[in-house]
Amino acid sequence: MSNDSARLRLSIVGIIVISLFSAIFARLWYLQVLDSETLQAEAVRNQKRLVFEPAPRGRVLDRKGRPLVENHVSEAVTVTRIDVKDNDAVLGRLAALLGISVVELERRIQDPRFSPYRPVPVAEGVPEDKIVYLREHQADFPGVQVQAVAERAYPNQALAAHVLGYVGEINDTELAKRETSGYRLGDEIGKSGVEQTYETDLRGRPSRLVLEVDSAGRVVATLSSRPPQPGHDVQLTLDLDVQRLAEESLAQGLEASRRRVDRENRKSFVAPAGSVVVMDPRDGSVLAMASFPTYDPTAFVSGISRDLFRSLQDKANHFPLTNRAIQGQYAPGSTFKLFTALAALQRGAITPKTTLLDEGSFRLRSCRGERCVFRNAGSRAYGRVDLTRALVVSSDVFFYNLGANFWFGGGPNRLAIQETARQFGLGERTGIPLASEQRGRIPDPESRRRLHELRPDAFPEGQWRTGDNVNLSIGQGETVVTPLQLANAYAAFANGGTLFEPKIAARVLDGRGRAVREIGAKTLRQVPLDPNARAPILQGLRGAVFDPTGTAAGAFAGFPLDVLSVAGKTGTAQVSGRQDTALFAAVAPVENPQYVVAVVMEEAGFGGSAAAPVARRILQGLAGSPPGPVQLVGGID
Amino acid sequence: MTATTTALPPRRESLSRRSSAAPWRHVDITLVAAVLAVAGLGVLMVYSATQRRIDGDPHFFLRRQAIFALLGIGVMVVVASIDYRVFRDFAPQIYVGILVLLLLVLSPLGSNRRGAQAWFQIGGFQFQPSELAKVALIVCIAAYGSVHRGDLNARRVLTVLALAAGPMVLINAQPDLGTVLVFLAILLGTLLVAGARPRHMAALGLVGLVAVIAVFQLGLLKEYQKDRLGAFLEPSDNSLSSTYNLNQSKIAIANGGLTGKGLFEGTQTKLAYVPEQHTDFIFTVVGEELGLLGAGLLMVAFAVVVWRIWRAAALAKDLCGTIVCVGVLSMFVFQIFENVGMTMGIMPITGIPLPFMSYGGSATIACFAAIGLVLNVHMRRFS
Repeated sequence: MSNDSARLRLSIVGIIVISLFSAIFARLWYLQVLDSETLQAEAVRNQKRLVFEPAPRGRVLDRKGRPLVENHVSEAVTVTRIDVKDNDAVLGRLAALLGISVVELERRIQDPRFSPYRPVPVAEGVPEDKIVYLREHQADFPGVQVQAVAERAYPNQALAAHVLGYVGEINDTELAKRETSGYRLGDEIGKSGVEQTYETDLRGRPSRLVLEVDSAGRVVATLSSRPPQPGHDVQLTLDLDVQRLAEESLAQGLEASRRRVDRENRKSFVAPAGSVVVMDPRDGSVLAMASFPTYDPTAFVSGISRDLFRSLQDKANHFPLTNRAIQGQYAPGSTFKLFTALAALQRGAITPKTTLLDEGSFRLRSCRGERCVFRNAGSRAYGRVDLTRALVVSSDVFFYNLGANFWFGGGPNRLAIQETARQFGLGERTGIPLASEQRGRIPDPESRRRLHELRPDAFPEGQWRTGDNVNLSIGQGETVVTPLQLANAYAAFANGGTLFEPKIAARVLDGRGRAVREIGAKTLRQVPLDPNARAPILQGLRGAVFDPTGTAAGAFAGFPLDVLSVAGKTGTAQVSGRQDTALFAAVAPVENPQYVVAVVMEEAGFGGSAAAPVARRILQGLAGSPPGPVQLVGGID
Repeated sequence: MTATTTALPPRRESLSRRSSAAPWRHVDITLVAAVLAVAGLGVLMVYSATQRRIDGDPHFFLRRQAIFALLGIGVMVVVASIDYRVFRDFAPQIYVGILVLLLLVLSPLGSNRRGAQAWFQIGGFQFQPSELAKVALIVCIAAYGSVHRGDLNARRVLTVLALAAGPMVLINAQPDLGTVLVFLAILLGTLLVAGARPRHMAALGLVGLVAVIAVFQLGLLKEYQKDRLGAFLEPSDNSLSSTYNLNQSKIAIANGGLTGKGLFEGTQTKLAYVPEQHTDFIFTVVGEELGLLGAGLLMVAFAVVVWRIWRAAALAKDLCGTIVCVGVLSMFVFQIFENVGMTMGIMPITGIPLPFMSYGGSATIACFAAIGLVLNVHMRRFS
C-alpha cells in the first residue's frame, strides 16, 4: 500500500468524522434553539400537577338554626399509592387490620376518583381501637395514614329527606354542564332537593394545590396552594318541629287507615303513600313538606349500593325517592270546590244568597242513561242549600249545577272555573326551588283534545262536554294537582289574593352565621279576590270544621278552636282502579291566617275521616297543645 | 481534503527531534488535557444526575465514578508506558485471553444484570469484559494488519472478520447488541486503513446493510430492541415505552436552551424524568443544565480528542500504530455519535455509553486504556 493510499484512507476517515460531528451540532442547534420552546413547555407540564381537594360542604339548617344536614368528621385510613406499591407485606397487614381482602384493598387503592398525588382513603369510619393500633405501629405501615374526612350526616335521620335531597358522585352529564365551574370527575354534587338547588352555595371552593412531581409520581414540593373556601350554610324556612309533626302525623294516619275497611269493596285500605305540606300564607314559606314513604339519606353517604338505590325507585315500594309534595299529582276532589265557588261568585253566576234544592243527584239536561246522572257521596240529599252550606256539608249537586251552567251557558264565562283555578296557580309549576316539580292539570277543551290525540285508547272522547265541566266542578275528571299546589292556592285565598312562589330557603349564611344572602318572598301575581266573595267561602270552610254537620267536624271534635280557629275543606277523590284519595286543606287561624295545611293520602278513604284527622293533629301541635295520636273518625267526603 | 493533508507535519522537521530518547517527552499534552476535561465533566454530570436519589448516599455515584476515572488514568499511564509493539507481539495471547474471559462471563461465574449476562462481580464492583474486549480487538487487528503491510486481499479480510467474529458472537450471546455494533465500527475503520480493497469495503458495507434489514425483518430482534427501533422510526407512537424515554430525553436537552438551567438546576434531571440518566443518557444532563453552550463545548472537547487521535494515526511510525489509532478513533466516534444521537432522536436507542461521561467502571477504564494506546503510538513515533 502506497503512502498516498494511506493518506487518502485517513482522509476518508476524517471526512466521515467531520460529517458525524456536524450532524450532532446541527441537531443540538435544532433542539436547543429552534425547537426549544415547544419542548420546554412540555418540561414544565412534566413537573407540575394540579390537585383539587373539595372544601367542607355547608350545612343545612332549619328556620331556627337547628342543623338538618351537617358534616360528620370521621377517621379515614388513607394510603399513599407510591409508598405501598408492590409492598405486599404492608398491604397484607393493612387488609387484615381492616378486615378486608388484599384484592379489595388494592381495588380501593386504585380508585380512579382520587388524585394519584394525594393519599387515597381506603376505609372510613374505622373503629377507634384500630386507629390507635395503626398509630402505635406506624413503622409497620409505611405509606398508611389516618386522616379526618368530612361526610354528610343527618342528625334527624330520615326527617325531611325529600326536601334535603342527597349528594353523590358527579356523573358525565352533570360534569359536562359544570366543567367550567371547576368540577372534576369524582367530585360530590347535590343530586336532589336542597342539596341540588343550593349546590353553588353549599359547595364552597375546592383547594387548589400546584405540586411538583417527579417521574415516579412522588410529590417533591408544593409550588403554590390556594386554601379551600368552605361552603355556606343554607337556612331553610322549614321548622324542624313542624316537619317532625307533619311526618309523624302522616305516617300515623296512613298506618291507622290501613287498619280500616273500605266499605265500597270490603277490603282494607292500602294507604301506601301520602304527603303533607304546611305553609305560611303570609310569605309563601314552606314550614313542613312531608312525603311518605321516605328514606334515610345516610344511605347515600360514601356511595349507595345499586340494589338499595333500585329499591328506592321501585314501584313495589311505592317509590320512596319520589317527593310526592311536588311530584305526586292527585285529583283534588272537593277541596277544589273553593275555586268553583269563587268563579261562580266573582263571575256573577250566583250570589251568597242563591239557594238550590239538593235532592242527592243531578241529571244533565237533554241526556239519557245512567251516565247522565251525577250523585252526592252516598247519594245523600241535603235539601235547600246556599253556597256556604254547600261547602259545610260538601254538597256535590250544588257544584254540579255551577259546573254545568258555566259550560252550557256559553259566552265568556264558559271556562270561568278553569280560569279561576289557574289564577291560583293550579295546573302550573309553583316554582318552588326544588327539581322535578310536576305541573298538574286543569282540564279544558284544549287539554282534552291533546290527550285524545296522544292516547286515543285511554281518551276515546276528543270533545269537551258539559259532563266534563260537571266533573271539574268537584275536582274530578282529569283534574290533578300536587299537594304543594293545593297548599299554595289555599294560601293565596287565605292571604287575600297574593300568589307566592313557595320558598324553601330563607337565607344563606357564612361560617360565622352572618347572612350572605337573604332569600325574599317572591310574588307570582295578585289574584283578583273580592272580599265579598272570600267571606262566604271562608265561612263555609269554617263551618266544615266548626259546624256539627261539617264534613270535618268529627275529626276536629275536642280541638281547641278557641286557641286556633280553623277553616278547611275535605276532599275524597275517586281514582279509577284504586281506592279513594283522602284530602284535606286547612287555613288557620281563620281571622288572620298564619298556616295552611294540605294533606293528601293515597287510597285511604274519605277526606273527612282520614285526612282531616292528620291535619288536626298537625294544627293541634301548631296551636301549642300536645298532640295525641291520630284518631281516625267516621264520616263522608 | 487539502486542509487535512497539510496537517501532516513535514518529515524533515521531525528528524531533529528523533534523537530525543525518552518517549514521555513526546506525550500529546493536548489529548491528555482534553480527555481529562471530558472525564472531569463526566464525574460532575454523574453527580448531578444521581445526587437526588432518595434511597441512600447522595455521593455514592460521584465517589465511584471519581474512583473509576482515577483508576482509568492509572491504566492509561501503564498502557502508554509499555511499547505498543510489545502488545502487538503478544496479540495472540491477548486474543485468547479475551475469548476466555468472554466465555467465562457466560458461565455461572458471570452475573446477570438487567437481562444481560455481562459482568463479573468482584466485591462491590462489576467488571465487564466486553469493554476490555473492544480495546483488545483493536490491538489484535492492528497486529494482523501490520504483518500484511497494508495489503489485504479477500482471504485476509475474511481472516480479520473471523478474528472479530469470535468475541462478537460471545458478546451477542450476553446479549449486548450495542457493543457488537461498536465492534462493527472498529472493523470498518481498521479494515479501511489496514488496506482492504475498495470493492471489499463496499461489499462489507452492503452485507452489513442487508444483515441489519434481515435481522429486523426476520424477527431476530428481541422485543425491547424492536421497541427501541420503533421509537426511533415512529417518535409519535406513545404506546412504546422507548418513545417515552426518547421524548423525555429530547425534552431535557431542549429544556436547556442556549445557556442551560444551571448546574444541578435541570428540572427533568432533578425529577428523574429521563431514565438511565447517569449512564446511557448522561448527555441529557449536559444538555439541560449547561445548554447549547455546555453541550457544544463538550462536543468540541470530543472533537479535539478525535482530532488528536486522527493526528496520532497520521504521525504513527508504522502501520500497526496507525491501525491502533484508527481503531480507537472508530470506537470513540461511533460511541459518541450513537450515544449523543440517540439522546436527540437521530439514532436508535442502544445501550452504548458515552466515553468518559457515562457512569461505569469498565467502560471508563477501557476508554482510558484506549487513550493510553494512542498516547503510546504518538510518543513512540520517533523510536
